Amino acid sequence: MSAERIYRLLLRAYPPGFRAEYGREMVLLFRDQCRDGDVRTLGFWVRVVCDVARSAPALRVEAWRGRGSENTQTVEVIMKIAGMVTVLLAAFGIVGAVGEWVVASRGAMDGSYVLAVVLGVFASVLLLGAGVAILLGARWGRQPARLALVASLVSAVAARLLFPWMSIFSQLVGFGLPVALLIALYWPNKPATVRPA
Amino acid sequence: MGSHQEEAIVRKRQARRPPEAYLPLPPATFHILLALADGELHGYAIMKGVEARSEGSVRLGPGTLYGSLKRLLEAGLVEEGGERADPERGDERRRYYRLTQLGLSVVRAEARRLDAMVRAARRKKLIGERPA
Repeated sequence: MSAERIYRLLLRAYPPGFRAEYGREMVLLFRDQCRDGDVRTLGFWVRVVCDVARSAPALRVEAWRGRGSENTQTVEVIMKIAGMVTVLLAAFGIVGAVGEWVVASRGAMDGSYVLAVVLGVFASVLLLGAGVAILLGARWGRQPARLALVASLVSAVAARLLFPWMSIFSQLVGFGLPVALLIALYWPNKPATVRPA
Repeated sequence: MGSHQEEAIVRKRQARRPPEAYLPLPPATFHILLALADGELHGYAIMKGVEARSEGSVRLGPGTLYGSLKRLLEAGLVEEGGERADPERGDERRRYYRLTQLGLSVVRAEARRLDAMVRAARRKKLIGERPA
């Protein structure tokens, strides 16, 4: 196997984008090195392997970070969609709780039921606020959204404890949605930084 | 947004950064910029220039050299100067690189920084006087 062929195999350690851009130039440079140096010595190959071992992982990490910044844009789009869904579900929750109140008010209502409905409405309003904060953007909407989601979750749990017959759908929205959004909002999401050379 | 527009925005941002913001430079980067201060060079000529200037103490392999050049191109310190063959090294077309105005300012700033450090070391008698 020729030295150039071995070097072409070693080039596979580099990220594909880098190989496409600089692979030909690197092979040319290696050819020059072979012409001027002694390819048959162990020292030559130790230097070649050390160069690949030193530079390829760093370039792989850079390529991975570059992809990370693209992923950040995708995550932002997903968060916007999640914000819209949250606003819609919260509005639906408010309308539902008010409707339930109207229907129940025709008969006798005990205190814990009234408190549970009020807490349900409060949780939905907070969820609505969190959805709006997420839609407003990542810069100053994140922290208010987190606070509103925690408060909404606490209210939903309190409402469930007071009113054990809460529907599965209400429980999914009341507990599941704030927990999912809190995980998404606390997920480390740092954009890649351009390292000066 | 098109890639040309994005590149223009990146270049505008880079132009606003003072040269000192890029310091200290990694030794390999400083050697590459120093080699390019002589004019347009291709990869192998940069590598040989660095080796000769450092009296063999700095040897850049292809991966280290092109990895550094990629970062320097992205930072706007170096630009491509086209492709042509080097008559001394055969018919293969080679990509040439040259310093940008920003790259020249950065290498000058780094040289000044290193010079100040050497002067400080000399004042403390850590190294001898400048040879005549």
